[in-house]
Amino acid sequence: MHKKQTRDILLFILGGVVLYFLSGMVDELRVYQGASIAVYVIAISSIILLTGYSGQVSLGHGALMAVGAYAAAVARIELHVPIILCFAIAVLAAAIGGALLGAAAARLSGPYLAGTTLALAIGLPSLANQFSLLGGEQGLLFDVGFPPLSLGADFTQYKWFFWIAALAALISMWVIKNILSSRYGRTWRAIRGNEVAAQLSGINIARSKILAFTISAGIAGLAGALLSMTIGTVSPSAFPLALSFSLLTGAVLSGITTLGGAMIGAVVLVAIPEVADAVANRIGSSERVTTNLPGLLVSALLILTVLFVPNGPVEQHRARKARKLTLKK
Amino acid sequence: MKAMNRRKLLSVSAVLAVASLAATAVPAQAAEVGVTSSSIKLGMTLPMTGTASLGYNKIPGAAKAYFDYLNANGGIYGRKVTLVVKDDRYVPTEAVAKTNELILKDKVMALLAPLGTANVKAVAASVNPARRGVPVLFVNTGFSGFADAKKYPTTYAVLPSYIMEAKIMGQYIKDNFAGKKVGLLYQDDDFGSDALAGFKTAGVNFAVKVPYASGSQGAAAAAGWITKFKAAEADVVILFGVSSATSAMLGVAAQLKYAPQWMLGSVGGDATTIKLTGVPAGVLYNAIGFSPVPATTDMKDEYVKLFSDIYTKAVPGSTFDLNVLLGMNSAFMAAQALKAAGPNPTRKSLMAVIDSKGSTFANSALVPLGYSKTSHVGLTGYWVGKYSPTGDLSPLGGTYVTYTTDSGAGAVVKSTYVRPAMPAKGLPN
Repeated sequence: MHKKQTRDILLFILGGVVLYFLSGMVDELRVYQGASIAVYVIAISSIILLTGYSGQVSLGHGALMAVGAYAAAVARIELHVPIILCFAIAVLAAAIGGALLGAAAARLSGPYLAGTTLALAIGLPSLANQFSLLGGEQGLLFDVGFPPLSLGADFTQYKWFFWIAALAALISMWVIKNILSSRYGRTWRAIRGNEVAAQLSGINIARSKILAFTISAGIAGLAGALLSMTIGTVSPSAFPLALSFSLLTGAVLSGITTLGGAMIGAVVLVAIPEVADAVANRIGSSERVTTNLPGLLVSALLILTVLFVPNGPVEQHRARKARKLTLKK
Repeated sequence: MKAMNRRKLLSVSAVLAVASLAATAVPAQAAEVGVTSSSIKLGMTLPMTGTASLGYNKIPGAAKAYFDYLNANGGIYGRKVTLVVKDDRYVPTEAVAKTNELILKDKVMALLAPLGTANVKAVAASVNPARRGVPVLFVNTGFSGFADAKKYPTTYAVLPSYIMEAKIMGQYIKDNFAGKKVGLLYQDDDFGSDALAGFKTAGVNFAVKVPYASGSQGAAAAAGWITKFKAAEADVVILFGVSSATSAMLGVAAQLKYAPQWMLGSVGGDATTIKLTGVPAGVLYNAIGFSPVPATTDMKDEYVKLFSDIYTKAVPGSTFDLNVLLGMNSAFMAAQALKAAGPNPTRKSLMAVIDSKGSTFANSALVPLGYSKTSHVGLTGYWVGKYSPTGDLSPLGGTYVTYTTDSGAGAVVKSTYVRPAMPAKGLPN
């Protein structure tokens, strides 16, 4: 067990080093997209933890991201706390929101849970319009500040965002991975497998479910604060219903039960619009095609995934490998 | 010694070769980003899909129609103006991502007419066109803050601010409805608070003020609003909200036969957008409305005539409406700025020329432009009109009476501005 952990830590550090050098080699647009991918990796892994492991559906993670984002922005503007604390506050605030939601969610399942979280995704962001502290429709500025001067004069703002987001992604993946392989992860999987059996083995179902919701929400809150960092502002329109849906889409594309696949979903979400643009330009089509192509491509990918690799490409690959192994034996 | 000389000769000729290479390379480098010998590239982000795209998605087609006309007539000093359009679905995250693409990948010279206050703010904070020196021409929002040349040094407003509009409405009420009970419907956010500030400056006392939260407007809510206006016995009701709020209100009021004197803000008073929500344009009949540009049905106006001719040819089957006129007007103003920036326009010279000459740019509006070195205020007023049974706004008594003011404490005055004649063929001079 110890050996495996050391290997994992080394892998994460290696990943960090690769990202560090990568950020120096690509142009500014790619660096910005890299930051977006890192944000999506975190958000998608929060869904994977919740849905793939504890078996609860959430269509409202966009709203939990909004909670984190607003908490971070208000902390920054009103209390002038250091940026790292803002992110911690974002995690905490969203986790509290998640715990409340989780308490209700533990009594619901299936379509009822989906409906409740959906309502949250629609309603919660526009609550910001009710309180002047939250800046209404136009939102609040969320400024993490310029990169430290010691990094050099030509160190761009986006590279700074990328570093922060990528580091946060690595750390949260590490944390999630450990939680999932701990007692809690096993408990959640037991519940997902069969609630009655889990209960008979002495698992407190409600408490476990609420815990899963709380942790997942906290991670989503971090993703929300990071998303606001990349766009410099927090406003209700930054957290539309479409965001919650695309996160779920990303999670399905990643393979809902494989944490490691989060990368795939995140890259797809960021890359598809650009791919669509390139395709539309190649065939020289009208604006209507260009603007609708990204949605079409994502939907097509989603359908194909569900049809052919329902557990995600990573899981599929693993299963095939396992099958080959047993055949050899 | 000989060897030394040869080495010297070699190094001198090498230096000369490099220098001459560098010299020939200079003219190529002197050109600005997005400007080649044959083209000038501009970029635009706005909602092209989704609920917020209603009506606004005609703006790119309108701007492109004008640029195509301009290009067919010689362009700007022989350069063709091209426009790259990206869909931001009215989501700030998308607006930032797409603007990054426009600036970093498509390498546009300037941004034209981005839409929505939250989006323009997010772009200003994250992409930071000011730091990159990228001009953001003629933003499509009435938020007064974007006129602040210190805070947004490369951003230029064009629409009159919500504050100006409320002040002018207030003046009109004082002049025409003195002693009547006035009610106000407004959006409970910065859009509404700008309006309230304007009405306060104008000294309007409301019998009843009804706020609504953005997203809450619908038929059920409208029935509730009407109860409040009825209870206060309002004679004049101002609808200072978005199109969906206006259409919900007018639709329900028509069913309930509630008919005070309506007064509509320019944001929610566009007939085409109201029709798109499923409410017949007839509900607008006799309401009072405000606009900075001529009536879109006024074919006696040289700009409206030319722009609608160009548009109907370029986009057959599409109605020439306020969004189209404003889109073409912004394109026309951009063309003026590019032309005025000279044969070798740069981002800097483009902005410098708007600061120095922008207030004299020819354009279709009936009110003056306010650009200067210290202020990026665009249009500064409105004319007052009434809606026809088909939902078209036309001036009271057939002549345009325009009012002008500022976003501060300045008075509302009848404008003496006389619009200069349109340059020949509607091309920048």
